[in-house]
Amino acid sequence: MTTLSSRTYPPIAARKPFIQSALGTLLVLPALTAIALLYALPLARSLVTAFRDSNGAWTTEHIARAFSLYGRDILFSIGVVSASLALITVISIAIAGYLVLGTTPWAVRMLRWLYRWPLFIPFVVSGQLARSFLSTNGMMNGVLVETGLLTAANAQSFLDWRGLVLTFAWKQIPFVTLLLAGAMAAIDRSHIEAARNMGAGRLRCLFNILLPQAAPTLWVGLILSLVAMLSVLSVPLMLIAGNPTMMTSMMAHRITYYGDYGIANALGLFSYALTAFTAWVYLRLTLRREATA
Amino acid sequence: MRTEALALNDVTIDLRQQRILESIHLDVEPGSFTCLLGPSGCGKTTLLRAIAGFTPLSRGDIRLGSKSIAHLPPEKRQTAMVFQSYALWPHMSVGDNLGYPLKLRGISRAERQQRVAKILARLELSGFENRAVTQLSGGQRQRVALGRALIIDPPLLLLDEPLSNLDAAIRRNLRGELRRLQKSLGITTIMVTHDQEEALQMADQIVLMRAGEIVQVASPQHLYHHPADIAAARFLGVDNTVSCEEHDPPSARGATKFGFRTQDAVINMPLNAAALTRKGRVTDCLYTGNGYQVSLSTDGEELCATTASPIALGTFATLQVPESALISFGPDDRHMPPLDRHEDIA
Repeated sequence: MTTLSSRTYPPIAARKPFIQSALGTLLVLPALTAIALLYALPLARSLVTAFRDSNGAWTTEHIARAFSLYGRDILFSIGVVSASLALITVISIAIAGYLVLGTTPWAVRMLRWLYRWPLFIPFVVSGQLARSFLSTNGMMNGVLVETGLLTAANAQSFLDWRGLVLTFAWKQIPFVTLLLAGAMAAIDRSHIEAARNMGAGRLRCLFNILLPQAAPTLWVGLILSLVAMLSVLSVPLMLIAGNPTMMTSMMAHRITYYGDYGIANALGLFSYALTAFTAWVYLRLTLRREATA
Repeated sequence: MRTEALALNDVTIDLRQQRILESIHLDVEPGSFTCLLGPSGCGKTTLLRAIAGFTPLSRGDIRLGSKSIAHLPPEKRQTAMVFQSYALWPHMSVGDNLGYPLKLRGISRAERQQRVAKILARLELSGFENRAVTQLSGGQRQRVALGRALIIDPPLLLLDEPLSNLDAAIRRNLRGELRRLQKSLGITTIMVTHDQEEALQMADQIVLMRAGEIVQVASPQHLYHHPADIAAARFLGVDNTVSCEEHDPPSARGATKFGFRTQDAVINMPLNAAALTRKGRVTDCLYTGNGYQVSLSTDGEELCATTASPIALGTFATLQVPESALISFGPDDRHMPPLDRHEDIA
């Protein structure tokens, strides 16, 4: 009989470190190149362009002019995205909370099926839908007049900041809800049951137990929504006629009609700053949470 | 809050068109400690969850004191449950976890702090208020979960395998601690467990369950010595069964089988006329720490006994079980009470 110890096995051949690192680099390279060429380089160029005049000298004139010409648009953009984010937060918490805590199975199933639809509709189509729904003679006023809730003479167009807020929220709520409901569903069910057992109703469970634990995911969803809203061109172009409007519209206007990349990039800088500020707030909150945990 | 009696009447539960619990009747005395004991999947946790309000009844009633709670949502039932996973909220400190039930009842911050400190002292965790629950050991988490349940002074305490996630040594310590705490508070307690030793050590009353039904309700002593049937006996450590023979000690009338525990059977001891005796060939001899466990092959039956010194495999040996350690079973595998006694078997 052969015993195990009497057998000799050849050692497993160690792969050469050079081949291993070369393989790793090869796998990372496409993604790295894409980020460098399609993101980092244009970002750096636009930052530089925002601070250079036509002769290539450093200047802050673009920034100053962007402020004086488009200050109202910047404030308008901040107002619209803030209102949209507030609406997104409230509704996505309500939907995600109901999906996790709802006790009527058919209602939960139906809501789960329905809420995702806008995810699959592009911004440009959303813009068109909003136009036909929110205009003076749009479907919303039509229904209100038909049902007698509104007289035709009082019908007004929502194609202004309200239309933008509603369209952005309609488009982004499913996305944030998807993330938030996933995070809430991942929380151990016994956490909710323990709270209910101790006397907490479902609303308290949502705000005291689920939301604090799912908050980091909500923040991620809101920051990504902020980036999406600040970068969409089609919706403000289709919904807003005249001033003030979103920064993207003004950037497009500056480039299309004046070929003025300096001021357009200065406006872009504000968008970056706004997003970066929110991301910074999020990171601070996350770090503080991790430090105390 | 005054501790209350619990009464389950015809409690039946179906989940996804499958019957999980079938017509459960149970009375729990106020201030008593009841264990729901049974193998995995027997429905014991479902029954506990039904009492807490997390599983709806298909039929029947649950009464706490004089009040029916069967139709109340969990938050209105005033039962306090300790979960198997402890379910401590990780975003709250130990103090906040303990104080949350009080906060829900509108108790002022100062009083909350005072009561949290008091319960932490009782659980020997003084000064832990500001610790994150994620920094606690398993045993400490278990105590905080227990404290959170007890802080509202509930009429009924429900424990879902509260010790099963702990090391054996900590588990043994906490058993005694938990029992002492329950006795001192005099709170009606129902604990789910699959560990028969735990149930025997802690309970005033054990409810043995199998396949969604109650098999037997009895005191630990009664259950240990008079299990309702062979399956219940096996679950309670009766690991040997033999068919009755003529020369065996007198048993219940009509008994066809005896059951006994390996620890009660001895090998090659001086013959005792009043003991059950079987001869057989030794097929296995295992060291168990405080002696040896010997397996004997008798006429088609495999029996186990204990001995102080090892026995060579293949030799013949005599196994004896004293009459007092024998449990008689009838042809239907149900326990037969000894001739001179009447047993109350559910």
